[in-house]
Amino acid sequence: MQRRCNFYLLLFSFCVQLPISFSAKAQDSARKSLLVDLSYHCLNNAAIYVSVHAKTKEAGKFQPVGGARFRLYLDKDSTACFAGDAVTDSKGSAIAFLPPSLKDQWNSAATHTFIAVSDETGVFSPSRTEASVVKAHLEIDTGQGRTIIAKIVEMKNGEWVPVKAVEIKVAIKRSGSDLAVSDKDSYTTDSTGTISAEFHRDGIPGDKSGLLTLVAKVEDNDTYGNLRMEKSEPWGAVLKLTDTFDNRSLWAARFKTPLWLLLMEYSIFLGVWSIVVYLILQIIKVIKAGRLV
Amino acid sequence: MDINAITTDLLPMRFGRWGRIWTAILLLFCAVGAFAYFLQLKNGLVVTDMGDYVSWGIYISNFVFFVAISLVGSLITAVLRLANVHWSTPLTRIAEIIAVSAIIFAALIIVVDMGRPERFLNLLLHGRLQSPIIWDVVVISTYFVISLLLLYFPLLPDLKILIRVNANSSSSSSRLNKLYRFLGSFWKGNPEQVRISERAINIMCITIIPVAFCIHTVTSWLFATTYRPGWDSTNFGAYFISGAFLVGAGAVVVAMFVFRKAYHLEKYITELHFDKMGKILVMLALLYLYFNINEYLVPAFKMRKPESAHLMDLFAGEFAPLFWFAILTGMLVPIGILLFKKGRKPLPMFVAGLMVVVGAWFKRYLIVTPTLLHPFLPMQDVPERYHHYFPSWQEWAIAMGSLAGALLVITFLARIFPIIPIQETITEQYAKEV
Repeated sequence: MQRRCNFYLLLFSFCVQLPISFSAKAQDSARKSLLVDLSYHCLNNAAIYVSVHAKTKEAGKFQPVGGARFRLYLDKDSTACFAGDAVTDSKGSAIAFLPPSLKDQWNSAATHTFIAVSDETGVFSPSRTEASVVKAHLEIDTGQGRTIIAKIVEMKNGEWVPVKAVEIKVAIKRSGSDLAVSDKDSYTTDSTGTISAEFHRDGIPGDKSGLLTLVAKVEDNDTYGNLRMEKSEPWGAVLKLTDTFDNRSLWAARFKTPLWLLLMEYSIFLGVWSIVVYLILQIIKVIKAGRLV
Repeated sequence: MDINAITTDLLPMRFGRWGRIWTAILLLFCAVGAFAYFLQLKNGLVVTDMGDYVSWGIYISNFVFFVAISLVGSLITAVLRLANVHWSTPLTRIAEIIAVSAIIFAALIIVVDMGRPERFLNLLLHGRLQSPIIWDVVVISTYFVISLLLLYFPLLPDLKILIRVNANSSSSSSRLNKLYRFLGSFWKGNPEQVRISERAINIMCITIIPVAFCIHTVTSWLFATTYRPGWDSTNFGAYFISGAFLVGAGAVVVAMFVFRKAYHLEKYITELHFDKMGKILVMLALLYLYFNINEYLVPAFKMRKPESAHLMDLFAGEFAPLFWFAILTGMLVPIGILLFKKGRKPLPMFVAGLMVVVGAWFKRYLIVTPTLLHPFLPMQDVPERYHHYFPSWQEWAIAMGSLAGALLVITFLARIFPIIPIQETITEQYAKEV
């Protein structure tokens, strides 16, 4: 009797749990996993921010995820280390600057870890992504004969030490993107952490004073993240802005008709209407000729 | 040659019963059109179906149609006269009258399309000389004056005959005689007057051809200088000129048939005239067909995305019935009729001419409206009704009223003046006999 009772109890609990476990399984499998890229950026050795890029796989293709909310932390997933919230845009990207409240914590160590945490949503499973960086500085200077010198140093035992074999790109900042200073794509630092690049873009337009913004940058480095340093030099051609707004043109205001058009129009108008006037005068001549009879 | 018989045959006649009915119908259409225009003036262009998308509707289609039909004056009178073609003499007055009435209503319908017509003068006072609209205003005014002169100069010898014939007539004829005297009492027909007149007509015939080409080219530029699917063409000037020649010739054929029947002019407008006009008409229809193939095939071959929506709408979409109707009635069927000698008899010619004119009207509508519904840069979040256009009853009434008005001007001019030049016919008959 006891055995039979246990059997029915087991069967009952199996029947109750089966749909629940299937439902839970179905909910888990229905949620998509969020693929997150977390990158560290340092601009001009001063502004520090992290960028988050969220994507997911749909129909075998990666698609950006907009509106994904992340909590960002420095080193530890705790309230004291909270660096801010970031919500991705339609391209799946978001950035967040390191707040002043974490300055002391940032200065206290040479290596740090950034953490991005997203909660579970109706569509996506929760995620946690980490990115570790070693603090590094990039320096940029110019030498003789339009040479650009860049140097990278890292924090080691409380000192800035040059780093060997790091890829550095040297470019000119243009509207929209950067233009490499020469045909060479990137340069590798020597034992002094330095590279030297020749400027081969003579005549490139600068600003009103001919200033160009030179850029040295380290991109997607596993150890140092993304570093960028800028410096202005008067190596560009002086930009002369010519305002054509008030010139004579086909699309200008009525008193700004192009002279060639005025000449053509008045010539045709006067040519044709002088004939019309001549023809009207012929009517007067016909009237006079009638009176002569 | 019996001069009196020719004169009697060709004198303008009083309206008969059908003439009065015809005039009454036209007046009724004009009255309804005038009432609709009154409503438009009172309430604004909101009474039309035009909007942010279709800002040029049936009025501008009508304008292009009138401009096109007005080209006939230069075709029949100027081109054939300069080519020393004499068979066209009985048709010249018809062509000149159609040209004058059409150009009057082309100018009027533009004013109708203006939301604030009382500001028309601002167009001249503050207009930009870079704008094709200003060029159009200037060239239409010029063409109107030259067309009027081209009607008037050859009329002078006939006015002398009319004054003589009407000298001892009834009171209504005496009112007409006052008009004839005002217009041409000075014409004595002396050699000096004939010389001056002949010279003036020749100068006009030479001048009116480039001016007529200008009016159609500039009208086409109103569209072609606007970057839109269907209008973005370097060929538009020639396309418009060929279409204008066709519809003008079609209108003359219709008028020839009607006047021949109404005034019993079988002796003067013979089957030979129909045959020759038929040959001209079929040539012009083939020419216009060629330009149509150019205008539609080339963009259809490339099928750029913004163009394809417009073209598909014409070929197989909302406008397809109208498009194929216009192509068939405006070109293909008339070509089929007129290629054969039997098709160039008066009645089939009348049918073909009527088809050309009706097809041409719808063709102008198709040039204007579908393009406006398919801009390269569509507006966002507009109401659904912006994507469709169907003229309101006020627009139809005004458009039909303007067409009736043009026919009324032709009817009145045909009542007042000889529809076939009397003096020229007598002179040509005399020259033939000698």
